Amino acid sequence: MYLLDWIIVAAYLVYVIWDGIKRTKGSENIEGFFLANRSLPWWAVGLSVMATQMSAITLVGTTGQAYSDGMRFLQFYYGLPLAMVILCVTVVPFFYRANVFTAYEYLEKRFDAKTRSLTSFFFLLSRGLGVGVIIAAPAVILSIILGWSEIITIFVIGLTTTVYTMFGGVQAVTWTDVKQMVLIIIGLGVCLFIILSNFPADVSLSDGLFLAGASGKLTTIETSFDLTEKYTIWSGTIAALFLFLAYFGCDQSQVQRFLTAKSVSQGRTSLLMSAFLKIPMQFFILLIGIFVFIFYQFQAPPMIFNEVEANKAIKANSVQYSQLEEKYKQIHTTRSEAAVEFVRAKKQSDEIQLAKAKEDYLKANQNFNDTRKEATEFVKTTNKNKSFTDVNYVFPTFVLAQMPMGIIGLIIAAIFAAAMSSISSELNALATATTLDFYRRHFKKNGTDADYVKFGRIATFAWGIFACIVAIYATNLGSLIEVVNKFGSFFYGSLLGVFVLAIVVKRARARGAFFGLLFGIASVWIASNYTNIEFLWFNVVGCLVTVSVGYLISLTVKEDKQ
Amino acid sequence: MKIEDTDQQEKIEEYPDAWWYRVYFAVIITTIVVIAALGYFSYYFSN
Repeated sequence: MYLLDWIIVAAYLVYVIWDGIKRTKGSENIEGFFLANRSLPWWAVGLSVMATQMSAITLVGTTGQAYSDGMRFLQFYYGLPLAMVILCVTVVPFFYRANVFTAYEYLEKRFDAKTRSLTSFFFLLSRGLGVGVIIAAPAVILSIILGWSEIITIFVIGLTTTVYTMFGGVQAVTWTDVKQMVLIIIGLGVCLFIILSNFPADVSLSDGLFLAGASGKLTTIETSFDLTEKYTIWSGTIAALFLFLAYFGCDQSQVQRFLTAKSVSQGRTSLLMSAFLKIPMQFFILLIGIFVFIFYQFQAPPMIFNEVEANKAIKANSVQYSQLEEKYKQIHTTRSEAAVEFVRAKKQSDEIQLAKAKEDYLKANQNFNDTRKEATEFVKTTNKNKSFTDVNYVFPTFVLAQMPMGIIGLIIAAIFAAAMSSISSELNALATATTLDFYRRHFKKNGTDADYVKFGRIATFAWGIFACIVAIYATNLGSLIEVVNKFGSFFYGSLLGVFVLAIVVKRARARGAFFGLLFGIASVWIASNYTNIEFLWFNVVGCLVTVSVGYLISLTVKEDKQ
Repeated sequence: MKIEDTDQQEKIEEYPDAWWYRVYFAVIITTIVVIAALGYFSYYFSN
């Protein structure tokens, strides 16, 4: 990092805190602090929805995933547009016209206070843990860049965001989200352009893409119907559909976004903005990872991207590490030559020569992957760190090593922005649910607006500290983006099931919804412990069990209390 | 002035359902086209 990079990052942090805190003015009453007086335009809400969903994990984890696993992850988003349409038809008008502050408040109107409290509790549990993971991702990057300990970095990120969320409420969250989203788009665009311009002179964009395609990195549709396969078109369009319905329709951090819109139409438009833009945007983020992969065909990448773990392994067994590194460099040279030959053969359009060049390249690439795997295993065993993964370190290491002065700062600021936009929305939602679903509902029913806003600020601070503590333990949990989705999948399907019962099943009763939810979560626990089903399918399992059990129990209830 | 502002807020336009159904249809068709284009992109550069 150069001085200019530091100035850019510092300027961003100072601006975002100042911009957030100055929103305190419109947040003195309960409606202003938690719902921005339902006054926000659709484009601001839409950008906030996207910024909330696109955390630093999306930038760091997804690019790393594209580098090592290719574009298969894109299929995860194929169900999102349909989910948005379903939500626009169902929950948006329901919640908006019910005039609620939280999604769970609607469940009390439909069922009872017990169901509201239970669903809100599960939201607090899953999101409280989830926001910790969201803080952990940028902390991982910054700890490498700044040479700070991960704990200090976690508290710097977490507390900075907590401060402006605590004072400015949802207004601060949304308007900073808008600016942060713009910064992220600029950062990504510049990053994409610079990687492209760093390709060797005789390798064009299409040459690079043919290389990536030959090594299987560009798969965007996987049709095998295998429940143990993580990313297929079926898990993306069916299982992820359930996840997105639950996330955008039952998770307060997203529901609160469209509840701040001026009208039902504006709320719907804000969600449909994601429906149109999410897949292309995710494609471009993955493309950055693919470009990093292409770039490293011609320049040797580090054997281990995580410098801290690599140094630990060198200290423990430098002889074996050096031997592995030597082997790795030789294999990379072979692969690089094979890649150049493949590109040349592609240009000459000689089918026989091309087939041979492709075969040689694939063989060299396989050898390269095997050696990298060997190195990763070596680090795991030498450092006695079973959960060690290199995926999250690929992008930040690449940025630091290859980006010019000023651009490093811009991209680091964009990663900060991605992290803070998600963290702020989550903290605001956690505080809203704590204040309105528990404090106002159970402990202080007749308080003033000032009481609730004050409690909301205290709750924001408390959740900020809790999330930082969770983040400390989350830094070694494997691919961080999957960790967040796994956390979500454990509860989301069952929460969705309760809302399906509330909105779609007229015969559903409070007792059915309450016990249906508990059975749903228990079924996901069983599925996760006793089957090999991939986590995305937990959403389907949880939802179906909750709806089925909830409906059956409702049939046994005679009273018609709605 | 305040009254005018309030009136403006109350006159927020809500589009009819028929209009929304056309929008939803456009979203689904666009998604199918995008996924097909991505599939073609993958096929083109992998062969």
